[in-house]
Amino acid sequence: MSYFTAASLDEALNVLREAKGKALIIAGATDLFLKGMPSQAVDIASLPELGMIVEEQDYLSVGAAVTHAAAASSPLIMVKAAALAEACAAVGSPQVRNLGTIGGNLVNAAPAADAAVALAALGAKAVLCDIDGRRRVEELGNLYAGYNQSRIDSSREIVLNLIFKTCQFNEGSAFARFASRRALSLPMVNVAARVGLENGVFAEVRLVAAPVKPAPTRLFKTEEALLGKEPNEETRQMVEELASAEVKVRGSLLRCSADYRRHLIGVLAGRVLMAAVRRVQDKEES
Amino acid sequence: MDIGKITFLLNDEPVTIYADPAESLLHLLRDQLGCMSPKEGCGRGECGACTVILDGKAVNSCLVPAGKAAGKNIRTIEGISDGKSVHPLQRAFVEKGAVQCGFCTSGMIMSAYALLAENPAPRQEEVKRAISGNLCRCSGYKQIEEAIMTAAEEMNENRVRFVEKEQKE
Repeated sequence: MSYFTAASLDEALNVLREAKGKALIIAGATDLFLKGMPSQAVDIASLPELGMIVEEQDYLSVGAAVTHAAAASSPLIMVKAAALAEACAAVGSPQVRNLGTIGGNLVNAAPAADAAVALAALGAKAVLCDIDGRRRVEELGNLYAGYNQSRIDSSREIVLNLIFKTCQFNEGSAFARFASRRALSLPMVNVAARVGLENGVFAEVRLVAAPVKPAPTRLFKTEEALLGKEPNEETRQMVEELASAEVKVRGSLLRCSADYRRHLIGVLAGRVLMAAVRRVQDKEES
Repeated sequence: MDIGKITFLLNDEPVTIYADPAESLLHLLRDQLGCMSPKEGCGRGECGACTVILDGKAVNSCLVPAGKAAGKNIRTIEGISDGKSVHPLQRAFVEKGAVQCGFCTSGMIMSAYALLAENPAPRQEEVKRAISGNLCRCSGYKQIEEAIMTAAEEMNENRVRFVEKEQKE
């Protein structure tokens, strides 16, 4: 095989263009290495332009080659997008988090990828660039073609960064997962929430669960039922019931039954919602 | 299989070898460079026995394509002591009984080494987290945690002694 470590984005795009579909972009390679390496690899993991975490006005841009470890320990992400920091800290092991990237997590398109679930709750969009230099911005949901199948064609396009609105003073986010062990274990369920409170009631809610469909799935009905409600124990119980009633899930012989998964989605939905609310309240109190 | 020229630093020594860049760094180290401390346990990033340090970060060498090692600085347990005396982590592992069958030990120590380089005075929780990607099937985690805490203390005492000595001179 041939292995090319790109020194710039232009260089990476040039190699893809010249390879005419035969070369594939790789980043951390933790998933790809086990699936099988492409015959021509273009490594973009150390491109400085893809490794940045930048706040611009009310938006945060996270480079596609930012590792899970870097995202989990970034003060900017911890403060302005706590759900993403929590999700990245939950992936695999320290060794895997030091290699695996946020962009790679999306392109790998696993249905319950921790970072993808948090990004979906935050309302992130992906910025992509193709070999002709054309840039486009996509909703995360549009990047999935099916279970473990991405629409992103790594032989002709590169995810540059993820962009989302930072959590403002009245907003908070949180992520939770349930797995058989706390490390090195794939989640049975992961859920993330982003909430906005106004005058003590929910003004905005984004609640995302996985694995439900190929892509992280918003629980629209539960979100809608929350608007105008006060965050309290009664609301939490309502969320538990609504969230588990709203999802159609599949069971897995290895991980858990469909019933258990549905139950877990309810419980975790209630938890992340209240955790996100507490983050708003902490800001108000301090 | 295409063979490419790969140059990197292994324990501060430059090495150049000819290898398939799709080969794992683990196999490269063991089979071509005779560096036998990284062990192949699961071969899929789940056990941590192959842990090495790549540019300061602990990684599973079984998941790193050799091509990725080019231009990088790789440290294995062979490169943490000067060859005359053992590293405080190695000594603490022996003294605290943190080695049983030994298969996980070099990976454990490399994860601990990466932790202490970033965080010289870790809390117990941080130690647990740092070795959460390393499995020990003899189940000696308690002794391993103690050994890492003890080594951290010793390394910090050495630093204090070094500074005091400098100030005297």
